[in-house]
Amino acid sequence: MHIDAFQTLADPTRRRVLDALRLGERQVNDVVEEIGIHQSGVSRHLRILHEAGFVAVRPDGPRRLYSLKPEPFRELDAWLGRYRQVWDARLDRFGEALEARQQQCQCARSDGT
Amino acid sequence: MKDEIRSSIVIERTYKAEPAELWDLWTTKEGFESWWGPEGFRADVHRIEGHHGGPLHYDMVAATPAMIAAMESMGQPTSTACKGCFSEFRPYERLVLTQVIDFLPRVQPYDSRIEVDFIPVAEGHVRMIVTLSQMHDAQTTTMQLQGFTSQLSKLDRRFGWEG
Repeated sequence: MHIDAFQTLADPTRRRVLDALRLGERQVNDVVEEIGIHQSGVSRHLRILHEAGFVAVRPDGPRRLYSLKPEPFRELDAWLGRYRQVWDARLDRFGEALEARQQQCQCARSDGT
Repeated sequence: MKDEIRSSIVIERTYKAEPAELWDLWTTKEGFESWWGPEGFRADVHRIEGHHGGPLHYDMVAATPAMIAAMESMGQPTSTACKGCFSEFRPYERLVLTQVIDFLPRVQPYDSRIEVDFIPVAEGHVRMIVTLSQMHDAQTTTMQLQGFTSQLSKLDRRFGWEG
């Protein structure tokens, strides 16, 4: 897991910039309009996101178009997945404990009849 | 307002059971001890009070010879005291277990929150949705990430979470 990914996402404005790119390629002005901060701020955050691998940029004539890159999100998901697995195993035990109790109750009921 | 980073994992299962049966596994000493892991560990509950704000104090104890040996070889204790409370308690519907994670060296204590919703679905079946969140102050998190991430890896090893 790259620590940089979390450091990059620690900034709330950068998370909003990422949100603005969720629907596809945008240019800086679109993002400025959507999140309502100054263009220099958006450009700075886009540069950081680009350097951290979250965002791709391509020229389109005089414009530069920004879009999300999937790799760091997959990496975050894989990292979280390890903790999901722990809970999968834990809930397997939860299910086993539940069954054991249900069987006990059934036995107790049949003993009582 | 402090900006917080909240990372969440949602996991859900459906059980053939009544909500009260699932509820007891979370809120009674016998129930909780019967499944709370992780693998190779057992929970020894010292105090559990089923009400809003009720405490849940337990020791996480290495329970197999292999786990005890593994912990000792890493210089880690074979038993760790865990303290939490039921910060929400709506019988058979929803509970929130908030635990203070204060046993990681060089990591500021933080809250780990486990939300559990019990939703009756088809006849005699209950969907249980578990949402796990860890709350960190963003600024502190940025400073601590390196240490925290490395501690999580240690925690992985410590609890045998590495797959």
